[in-house]
Amino acid sequence: MIKKFIHQFASPKTYLFQVNKLYSYILYSSIFIYALSITWGLLFVPEDFVQGNSFRIIYLHVPASFLSQSLYAAMAIASVTYLVWRVKLAAYLIIAIAPIGAMVTFIALSSGSIWGIPTWGTWWQWDARITSTLILFIMYLGLISLHNSFSNYEKADKLLSWLVIVGFVNIPIIKKSVDWWSTLHQSASITLTNKPSIDPSMLYPLIGSTIGFFGLIICLVIISSKVQIIKRENTKSWIKDYV
Amino acid sequence: MSNFAFKSIEEAIYMNGHGIYVWVVLAIVIVCLIGAFGHYKIKLRELKKKFNESN
Repeated sequence: MIKKFIHQFASPKTYLFQVNKLYSYILYSSIFIYALSITWGLLFVPEDFVQGNSFRIIYLHVPASFLSQSLYAAMAIASVTYLVWRVKLAAYLIIAIAPIGAMVTFIALSSGSIWGIPTWGTWWQWDARITSTLILFIMYLGLISLHNSFSNYEKADKLLSWLVIVGFVNIPIIKKSVDWWSTLHQSASITLTNKPSIDPSMLYPLIGSTIGFFGLIICLVIISSKVQIIKRENTKSWIKDYV
Repeated sequence: MSNFAFKSIEEAIYMNGHGIYVWVVLAIVIVCLIGAFGHYKIKLRELKKKFNESN
């Protein structure tokens, strides 16, 4: 029953026609939310008592850091879906997400490094959080290169799925690195179980920028997956209706 | 929404010496996002063109 459900709603054709309807709504609302939240965070939130104005980088850094891990988790879910239920769309999504994950991780690393200069007095430190995030970035690049090196897509998809699942071990390491080891990074200010340790005036634009950035990344994943579907399904008759 | 956090536009740009870090990060994010959207839009257009030519 699960298999039937997944195959019915996760066919590339259904996916392509459904996301096409949603794309514009997600894109324009995300641009609006992101622009509003960034303006709010960078220009209207009061200065931080300890870090001064450099803390405003939080509105750009945190959404990217959060998404860099979430995108990898999405790839891991797609990998399991592909390996267990043989859903082609899941395989297309893995390779569609990887370059976007690499870009988002690059934003997280570069914004973190720049934030480190005024805050820690150094742009780089081999501490657990930064090193595990760098490993995540290298993993994204490795997965893209590996997929591109294969001429047989099916073999590439299978190998990639297994590697993504193995590499998932790095995600809880990134998440817990600030608790397990002594690092320059502070512990998470927002958790699901505790009250946020950040003031509401600073928190709301952070939530907004994360939602807006998430929406923009979803739009990028949609376009990237369209590219993969057209590339891989170009012999199917239905693709003519789309193109 | 709170009030404008600075006394002037110049102060907002300078941010007590931290402006350079904040604005550089903002530039990186904008360039990456616009670059990625542009890249995929061009790729999608090329693929559609190639598909239509071959059919």
